Amino acid sequence: MVKGPTAKSILRHEFLGLRVRAEPRGGGMVHEGEVVGETRNMLRILRDDGRIIMLPKNSYTFIFTLPRGEKVKVEGWAIIGRPEERLKKRYRRW
Amino acid sequence: MPDIRRIAVERVARLMEFAERHASERPELARDAVLLAMRIARKARVRIPYRYRRLFCRKCGTPFLTPGSLRVRVRARRSTHVVITCLRCGYVKRIPALREKTK
Repeated sequence: MVKGPTAKSILRHEFLGLRVRAEPRGGGMVHEGEVVGETRNMLRILRDDGRIIMLPKNSYTFIFTLPRGEKVKVEGWAIIGRPEERLKKRYRRW
Repeated sequence: MPDIRRIAVERVARLMEFAERHASERPELARDAVLLAMRIARKARVRIPYRYRRLFCRKCGTPFLTPGSLRVRVRARRSTHVVITCLRCGYVKRIPALREKTK
């Protein structure tokens, strides 16, 4: 039985608790930390230095580290949507 | 294509585990995680796994993972039962204690 998010199911899975690295699309400061919150357009990240910041999904590319160890790079605009809505299908986009 | 339900159950489990981890230092985050878990379960019509069901208040979503968030009493008035009171919202949950030998 498949346990935990896979590279394919990451779009519909939960981000909370995953380690993430956020790179702004236009270039700029990169953030690394753990996902602690999510809204329709933003991700809330607890940075390694202890600060909590919110980043707009649209402007960043995220690299999530799955519990098994794999890393998945996801474009921010592909994960727009409230977490409970992302669960029930959204699109066939990678 | 994996079933929405299966993903939902996994998500609920991971959310509750997240709440457990952060409950002591950041209770607000833990509560948000619990609320999300409840919403996910509701949307996907899956039940919250039994071992997580007792860990939080059904009314306000506060996890019962730190001392000071709940009150537990054992009452034997009508029948022996355990009373759990959420100290945030006042919601009271009663659990009948059948099989009084092994609880």
